[in-house]
Amino acid sequence: MTDTANLERSYRRWLRWYPTWFRREHEAEILGVLMAGAREGQRRPEPMECLDLVSSALRMRLGSRVPRSERSVCTAIKLMYLGAVVELATAITIVATLGDVRSSVIQRHAGYTEVQWHAEMVGTLEPLVVAARIAVVLWLWMAWANGRGHRWARVVFALFFGLNLYGLFNGLAKGSAVYARTDLAMAIVLCLVQLAAVTLVFSGDVRKIAVFRSGVGRISSR
Amino acid sequence: MVKRTMQEATFLILTALAAGSRHGYGIIADVARISDGRVQLRAGTLYSALDRLRIDGLVEVDREEIVESRLRRYYRLTPEGTRQLAAEATRLQSDAATAFARLGLAGETPR
Repeated sequence: MTDTANLERSYRRWLRWYPTWFRREHEAEILGVLMAGAREGQRRPEPMECLDLVSSALRMRLGSRVPRSERSVCTAIKLMYLGAVVELATAITIVATLGDVRSSVIQRHAGYTEVQWHAEMVGTLEPLVVAARIAVVLWLWMAWANGRGHRWARVVFALFFGLNLYGLFNGLAKGSAVYARTDLAMAIVLCLVQLAAVTLVFSGDVRKIAVFRSGVGRISSR
Repeated sequence: MVKRTMQEATFLILTALAAGSRHGYGIIADVARISDGRVQLRAGTLYSALDRLRIDGLVEVDREEIVESRLRRYYRLTPEGTRQLAAEATRLQSDAATAFARLGLAGETPR
């Protein structure tokens, strides 16, 4: 096999990092550019070329495809990332304030035993931490899916908002305002962030984003 | 709100396309020429930038050719791309003029 054929085969292997739609539309084109820029006698891609291809491919897979002119959707996506950060902070707060919650519970209920506290931990607080971790993933997933222009993502995000709102009211009804004011404040902040993001994402023109969801490369005529 | 300024690579790609449509390798070569070899775009970076510019409606595909059995796709500026490039060039020119004036170099080319 010649050096050129070897090199081309190597480049094709590195291009597999890109999404299928990108390879379908641009592989031949980008391969032409890579081969045109190769040194005489080059047999394999240089490390910096590989790093550039991999980082660009990951950007292509994970990055938002919303036009910057769609400001409301761009802001909604930023709010979703903010939501993930706040949710993570909530999980950390729950763990960090466990001692305070325990003292508060013991103060209000004389005769509260270690066994009862352990049951409270297993039954309520640990699921809360797990739920917060799941919520971080959900926020990030929603930011990604809405950034890719998936129509279903708006609906799923609205349902996610409904679920969070239900959780907040349920917590209030169960008296969490008495025991964990910080957690409650975090839940209210999250619901407000979500409300703003839902409003913004529904006010955007999803058709414009959907156009760029999978590649494009159409030749335009002026 | 502070308006986002254009990244240098984006500015140079749009500048390369301002002279007419170019294919991928043509853009890389032209950007290197415009920047006196300071900016050497790699293929991955170029196609990420072109993808973003197309999403934002600043460039579009002009035509395709097969040369030596390889696909060449030519890109060109859209009217919005032309407008944004002109706006950025004006902004850079104004900033540079202010810098030269404060350095007492107005009308001179710094070495």
